[in-house]
Amino acid sequence: MKKILNILIFMLVLTNLQGQDYRIGKISKEELSEKVYPLDSTANAVKLYVNKRVYFRYSQNIGYQLITEVQERIKIYNKEGYDWATKEIKYYTPVASTSERLSIQNAKTYVLENGKIESYKLKNNEIFTDKNNKYWSTDKFTMPNIVDGCIVEWKYIIISPYSSIDKIVLQSSIPTKKFEADIEIPEYYNFNLKETGYFRINSTISTRNDNIILSNNDRENRNGFSTQKIDLTKKVIKIDNENIPALIEEPYVNEITNYASTLHFELASIKWPQSPIEYFSQTWENVTKTIYKNGDFGPELEKSGYFKDDLQLLISKSGGDTNKLIVEIFEFVKQKVKWNNVAGIYTYNGVKEAYKTSVGNTADINFILIAMLKEAGIQANPIILSTRDNGIPIFPTINGFNYVIAGIEVENDVILLDATEEFSAPDLLPLRVLNWQGRIIRESGTSTWVNLTPKASSETNTTLNISVKKNGEIEGMKRTVFVNNSALNYRNKYGNSSQEKIIEKIEENENIEIIDHRISNYSDLYLPVTELLKFNKKNAVDIIGDKIYFKPLLFLATTKNPFKLENREYPVDFGTPIGSKEIVSIVIPDGYVVESIPESLAIALPNDYGVYHLKISTAENKINVYSMLQINTPVYPVENYPALKEFFKVLVNKNLEQIILKKQV
Amino acid sequence: MKKTKIVVLFTLYFIQISYSQDYNFNSATIPQNIKEDAHSVVLFDQVSVELKSQKSMSYIVKKAVTVLNKFGNGNRYVVVPYDGSRRIKSVSTIIYNAFGNQIKKVKNKEYKDVSQVDGGTLFADNRLLYFEYIPLSYPYTIYYEYEIETSNTAFIPSWNPLSDFETGLLTSSYQINYNKELKLNIREINFENYKVEKSENENSLNYKISNLEPINKEPLSLSLKELLPNVKIASNQFYVEGEAGEASNWKELGKWEYDNLYRDVGYLSDETVAKINLLVKDADSDLEKAKIIYQYVQDKTRYISVQVGIGGLKPMLASEVDRLGYGDCKALTNYTKSLLNAVGVKSYFTELFGGFERLDMDFNSPSIQGNHVILNLPLEEGDVWLECTSQKVPFGYIANFTDDRNVIVIKPEGGELKKTTVYPAQNNIQLTKGNFAIDNDGTINAKLKIESSGTQYNDNLDSYEGKNPTELDAQFKAYFNSINNIVFSKIEVLNNKNDVKYEENIEFSASNYASISGNKMLINVNAFNKNTVVPKRIRNRKLPFEISRGFVDIDEVEIKLPKTYEIEYVPTKKEITSKFGTYTFELIKINDYNYLYKRKLQIETGKYKPEEYEDYRNFKKDININDNIKIILKTI
Repeated sequence: MKKILNILIFMLVLTNLQGQDYRIGKISKEELSEKVYPLDSTANAVKLYVNKRVYFRYSQNIGYQLITEVQERIKIYNKEGYDWATKEIKYYTPVASTSERLSIQNAKTYVLENGKIESYKLKNNEIFTDKNNKYWSTDKFTMPNIVDGCIVEWKYIIISPYSSIDKIVLQSSIPTKKFEADIEIPEYYNFNLKETGYFRINSTISTRNDNIILSNNDRENRNGFSTQKIDLTKKVIKIDNENIPALIEEPYVNEITNYASTLHFELASIKWPQSPIEYFSQTWENVTKTIYKNGDFGPELEKSGYFKDDLQLLISKSGGDTNKLIVEIFEFVKQKVKWNNVAGIYTYNGVKEAYKTSVGNTADINFILIAMLKEAGIQANPIILSTRDNGIPIFPTINGFNYVIAGIEVENDVILLDATEEFSAPDLLPLRVLNWQGRIIRESGTSTWVNLTPKASSETNTTLNISVKKNGEIEGMKRTVFVNNSALNYRNKYGNSSQEKIIEKIEENENIEIIDHRISNYSDLYLPVTELLKFNKKNAVDIIGDKIYFKPLLFLATTKNPFKLENREYPVDFGTPIGSKEIVSIVIPDGYVVESIPESLAIALPNDYGVYHLKISTAENKINVYSMLQINTPVYPVENYPALKEFFKVLVNKNLEQIILKKQV
Repeated sequence: MKKTKIVVLFTLYFIQISYSQDYNFNSATIPQNIKEDAHSVVLFDQVSVELKSQKSMSYIVKKAVTVLNKFGNGNRYVVVPYDGSRRIKSVSTIIYNAFGNQIKKVKNKEYKDVSQVDGGTLFADNRLLYFEYIPLSYPYTIYYEYEIETSNTAFIPSWNPLSDFETGLLTSSYQINYNKELKLNIREINFENYKVEKSENENSLNYKISNLEPINKEPLSLSLKELLPNVKIASNQFYVEGEAGEASNWKELGKWEYDNLYRDVGYLSDETVAKINLLVKDADSDLEKAKIIYQYVQDKTRYISVQVGIGGLKPMLASEVDRLGYGDCKALTNYTKSLLNAVGVKSYFTELFGGFERLDMDFNSPSIQGNHVILNLPLEEGDVWLECTSQKVPFGYIANFTDDRNVIVIKPEGGELKKTTVYPAQNNIQLTKGNFAIDNDGTINAKLKIESSGTQYNDNLDSYEGKNPTELDAQFKAYFNSINNIVFSKIEVLNNKNDVKYEENIEFSASNYASISGNKMLINVNAFNKNTVVPKRIRNRKLPFEISRGFVDIDEVEIKLPKTYEIEYVPTKKEITSKFGTYTFELIKINDYNYLYKRKLQIETGKYKPEEYEDYRNFKKDININDNIKIILKTI
């Protein structure tokens, strides 16, 4: 007893020494009078303390329930931070018997008034429940009496009949001063854990003993009442972090939330006493098997009767040419079944229904594609992956995957196909899919990683033939060839516009007037898009005295550095390698000669990540300009950011230099 | 795991309609002039309203739209809004192919039922039932009909024959059958240039319009509502969320609203009344008192919208706002009004349509309308209008959202028609004063002060007020977006509420501002305020256009050139005059290497004819060219 008392006293002393009491409602004057967050003066609000407790509670009639308790204490420094006084909590509510339950407690606003701490309670009728749709509800509330410098605090508890633990995210768009989490998992459950993000999570794992008391309320039992005690162990994961910085959005980032420090959980297996172990996922092979076994995956892939006649027609159309057959089937499926914008690795309506009604999710559509290819004798298999907004599948997890495409394995390569995208072609995937790697699942049960990063670079090649007039006008032709992802982007950008609108858009962007406009191969997805413009542009050059000034690339010049940030935290994501080439040929007006041209330039990024060339030459009354930018990596490492910024600075400066013509005397 | 464990349970509370009528949905029969240049064509749009009594109304909407190409795909949705007092009695949707053959009948389970809560709202009880069709080929026709039943007769559906650009129309019709004991107030708008068929008898009214060719959207144009015929209908006897009312003009409607919505919501505790009186004890005029109270409300409250039942119309109690420190526009206006009342200053609820686009309350159509509420103070000095949802704007400032429009002031004795403050172009000033120097290597070092007033005060307030240094850095990089490599050494912003001026003090440098080519250095003269936007070219513009808010920009900048160069060329001056405004600049030599750049741009507010659009573009192009003038230096 004495010993325990000592510890208690010691703990109290410790709390006092730290000067910080994180128990609910124990707000200090120091916290309330703080005017600015010392570690980040730009913060409008700061999470002073976040505590998450996640544990399984056993009750005899129900079994295990998953309890998630969250306490949040947020300091609001100024009006821009007032949004943090409003909280929304989403929970799963399909039908009463399988719904999660949410309760909100101790929600109060604390304010320093005349040197005294005053608190204002959130009333129950100020909490609104919004039934979002059939499956989800959201509780929303906003705290009363918010003023600059106040603190809001609340606790909420979600009781769930499900056994999946939500990921724990430590970072948000404001800093967090202290974050604690405590996750207790009974030995029966086995979860995979994985940490992602740039800020390190400080976590420890230990084991603790626990027990469950079962009471037997059998009336025939003479004792009336007996109990049974089951001993078990629990795995305890503790997170304890301080001074977590805010997560700040940067340009050219593949989903900023993918970089938030996060602990992910995946239920791997459950083993009840005296029962065989039940696997959910654990190794990539296991995950793959679990997915394949699902009724909406493997069996759906194996169905084939429903498209027999259509397939026969396609086979005869292709005349025995395998490549042609692949394209025929691919194009057929794209036309036949339209995407309902639902991603998923499992079928939604089932392949037959999708085929019949011509609408389906990613799995419906790409499974039809795979089944038809297979039936035609082509070795196609599903590749499961995670889209950009779903994050990167880091460890063997079913939930990590949310999308499926088709892959045809050929010698040393895999041809990738996604029939959900109107303008896609073999090996030309929409950007959402270009997320590191996917896993191909073969019929034999084996599976392996497939690189999704495009091998080919996204290219834009322009030839400009113009003549400069004495009145400052230019006229000529512009021909641009869009290759690979650049063609896909072009088709997506203008796919929803009439030619008139396309012309208007180009006129607006380039400030030119278009006389004629033609696009070739617009609908032939297997060829690059070629755009041909005949145009003129008034006041395209500066006429000053007896001289004419203009930029060598005219309106094609890169005049702005896309990288404006001094420093950067996260890699630069270009999506694909990039190539851009401009060949400009300029006829100068009669009576003028070239006075000066910018010197040529050739620069490179470290490690062969990229190059830029600009060459200018003159011949009689003509000037020829060659400009070429090549970025060889889809993702550029953040360590080399200063070099990238400097690279574009030099490029822009060069692009801004002028060619000078002068009147012949 | 969660998402795969789905149990489907769906209760039906609406029935499918069975069809008795046959329509022709063959897209080939649409006349050429109606479908040319159109992305879709409304085959018919029928609204039939049954106003059975003051407390009971139902209406049926039947609409068929042929979507000709994917640009018309906005029509692939069927959306039926409803709430506690608007019940969906039936709904049905059928899709037809190009030949008019049925290809899909939508099943009940295919409609989604979702809550309709927009960004600024914490909670509202409005919901939507919607269906989204995924098109397989074009053209296709989507036909839907639904019936709504409601006891709210204060909002009778209006007739808007066409609401989308690039859309043709075969027929649109509107019918209302009403109880003879009710008297309707009917307001017909823009009937002059269109052939509208109208028929009426003692208890019904019909409108029909046929064969409208599609109208293309053009920049700066008016909305279709302002261009096409439409009809607004209100019943003099109405019922809304449990309250019955009667009014035949704005005075009576205003009185009803005052009595039923606004009269009994002003209570404040004695403690609050005492506190607020203490606060204004030194103020010696109503204006002074009002200013103190407005500041008090701005400091204490924030805008949060909660709309439930009649709460959508009736303000939250003043005492509740006092306790919670938040509310929507009605609640915050009511709170301010109650505080003013506590110190003996009179003020009135004012109903209007808020938005950048000026939309008037219809003085000729008394009905519950508008989407916003502000406060009117009839002071000795004149009318003052208070926007109570902003924590940032100065007392009495209402530009860009509630300015220059017809409003209804609700007084205890009834509604009164008024117009809010106008902000004329010559008062919307942005004044930029500063200097910059160019180094030998082309680096610019600049120092400037920007001061804005009138509507321009608001533009700057929105961009900068409350932003942290990182955000301000990004904002000003965007503002000086033609300057590369910019590094700010000072960014100071000040919301000068007293003088209603927004002030910015900026210092920066940027390498390679001047470009060096051969032995020449080219310097852009207008470093701080380039007007670069030229509205896009429209071939054969058909619609009139509007410049909704004129303004004046004045720049005075001293320029210092590097002495290691000699001057080759310095532009002198330019004046451009047009009906849209004037532009002038002048470069005044102070000495060999110092110049003063003076620039003034004034754009007038106005409405213009379609054929004047090209003139406007040319005016903007000319400005663009002159904002890009350069000084040229050469090496000595």
